[in-house]
Amino acid sequence: MKFSKKDLIKLYTNLVRARTFDMLCTRLLAEGKFVSFYHEGAWGDAAGVGTATFLRKDDILYPHHRAHGFPHMIGKGVDPKYYLAEHCGRATGCCSGVGTVHALFEEYGILGQSAILGAQFTVSVGWGLAAKKNGTGQVVVASFGDGTLARGTWHEGANVAVLWKLPIVYVLENNGIAQYVSLEKAYPLKDMASLAAGYGMPAVVVDGQDIVAVAEAVGEAVKRARQGKGPTFVECKTIRVTSHGYGSPHMVDGEQRDMNMVEELKKREPLSMYEKNLLKQGIITKEDIEEIAKAAKEEAAAAEKFAMESPIQEDASILDQYLYAE
Amino acid sequence: MRLLQYNEAINEALSEELARDEKVFLLGEGVGVSSLATTRGLVQKFGPDRVIDTPIAEAAITGCAIGAATMGYRPIADLMYSDFLYTAADDVLIRAPQWRFLHGGRQSLPIVFIAGSGGYRKVGPEHSHSPHSIMLHHPGLKVVVPSTPYDAKGLLKASIRDDNPVFYMFHKALIGMKEDIPEEEYIIPLGQAKVRREGTDVTVVAASYMNYLAIQAADKLKGEISVEVIDPRTLEPLDLDTILKSVIKTGRVVIVDEDTERCGFAGELMAQIMEHAFDELDAPIKRVCAANYPIPSGFLEKFVLPQPAQILAAIREVVK
Ligand SMILES: Cc1ncc(C[n+]2csc(CCOP(=O)(O)OP(=O)(O)O)c2C)c(N)n1
Ligand SMILES: [Mg+2]
Repeated sequence: MKFSKKDLIKLYTNLVRARTFDMLCTRLLAEGKFVSFYHEGAWGDAAGVGTATFLRKDDILYPHHRAHGFPHMIGKGVDPKYYLAEHCGRATGCCSGVGTVHALFEEYGILGQSAILGAQFTVSVGWGLAAKKNGTGQVVVASFGDGTLARGTWHEGANVAVLWKLPIVYVLENNGIAQYVSLEKAYPLKDMASLAAGYGMPAVVVDGQDIVAVAEAVGEAVKRARQGKGPTFVECKTIRVTSHGYGSPHMVDGEQRDMNMVEELKKREPLSMYEKNLLKQGIITKEDIEEIAKAAKEEAAAAEKFAMESPIQEDASILDQYLYAE
Repeated sequence: MRLLQYNEAINEALSEELARDEKVFLLGEGVGVSSLATTRGLVQKFGPDRVIDTPIAEAAITGCAIGAATMGYRPIADLMYSDFLYTAADDVLIRAPQWRFLHGGRQSLPIVFIAGSGGYRKVGPEHSHSPHSIMLHHPGLKVVVPSTPYDAKGLLKASIRDDNPVFYMFHKALIGMKEDIPEEEYIIPLGQAKVRREGTDVTVVAASYMNYLAIQAADKLKGEISVEVIDPRTLEPLDLDTILKSVIKTGRVVIVDEDTERCGFAGELMAQIMEHAFDELDAPIKRVCAANYPIPSGFLEKFVLPQPAQILAAIREVVK
């Protein structure tokens, strides 16, 4: 797959935006302006942005919970301010302040999300089935983490997806850790992509810190799905350098995380690696970088202002209105 | 005596039981670290063969507990949040409760399912459930809902020693509560309610975090209304006698339950009180429960979960 200069800059811009929003979310949670959780995603954000940036607007995407899916949604073209407002419990939030960590952007193929991990494997089967029936070449992309892949729902969903040749791309963001448990303690092999082979599902393993590699691999899988060739599995090797969620203990397998190892991981910071590459190839200039960063900061500041100036969702009458369809 | 926090009391009970009986073991996602610190430090004491970190595989956790229990072990299956029991509901609600019964009463399952439950932390519809009425709907499963650190410890020890599957639900909003805990060992048998405040005008029945709110209400009403607060402590077995004794004394009842009102424990208890003590009642029983909606996240939570003002209002109304 060949990316144009414009595409490469778009990837870069989206990654900068995702990173800026991650910093904003972390700060807002620390300041008590978020209502419930935030699970930071910096340094592991290239996989989500790379996965989503070149999808069609009508493709269906299940965002990963890490970074609360901001990288995926930003990649998909969603204006993140409504999701930010949702986290602040505002009436202008994408779920009207009822869910706070849930997203719904129908026009962008974000059709809902669950905080109980593992739903993506089976719900995506329904999306895949509907997409196939629609016959317009729509593709479903389900993002998830290594921990989530341990759920039994994976097996039920994968089997049916292959059996019915559904247009689904499963994108694993393997950061080697699930909350407080390392991958070594949770899976006996190195590449979790091996889980696809048992169902006859093609799988590839890519460097999840290399945003272009992710976009390429997912792009190939999407192409295959659009052609009616069935599901593909893409494993992106990524990292987690923060604790599981803001404020939670930075521990793994019963012990403090080895901070030397975390420092080592930080060397694979995807944004600066990509930036360096683009500069070297002459695709962007220092001035472009400054401009993109400035625009991202302005976007984030405007989103924060929008969220904080929106009314808090305290209208009890919506409870009845939202519970059942008329 | 030492002052222990609710989660520390849970931790101590686990630690003592792991030390006492080598057949006891613990498994669950991240139990080596533990989100609410209930199991923290145990892997260092008992090793990874008895404090087992698992993948995110709830059905593997609960199924493993059932299998090992039939072979003489006494597993403690940590499900982190009670909302996640639904991902292993056939084990937790069907298989484990019915196992002994359907195999002719021969094979008991000494399992403790343990999880944090409840709302009041604004974490939304998938991390705030209090699913005890669902559990009570499945005979064969005991349900333990401690409201203080002292009880949390004593009841957990009894749960671990019980030969039946027990769902032990501690409340997330009580984690920071502190209480004096004796140095010496104690056990609180399942099925013994506790009178937390003595009173003569009205009986308030409330468990877990609702008990905490009920006590606050009782203290607030001091001098105005004499409130007796009863904590069932376990919902199965249920100590109806202690509740009825109080009803006979006061003639008026308010039941507070964090679970959804419809088909909830409060409705069930109301029915049982009417069946056994209708003539003792001077007023219709009132209940304060979660309204019949999913629990919203954010600022809407307060419109669904029981609030202190509603408890006060219900007490005042029932004594009118
Ligand atoms: C069914 C279920 N079990 C447990 C949890 C609690 N939980 C939330 S995030 C998480 C870790 C997820 O790990 P992974 O899928 O690897 O994603 P990562 O956080 O590493 O990006 C856990 C255990 C949950 N939300 N749902
Ligand atoms: Mg992970």
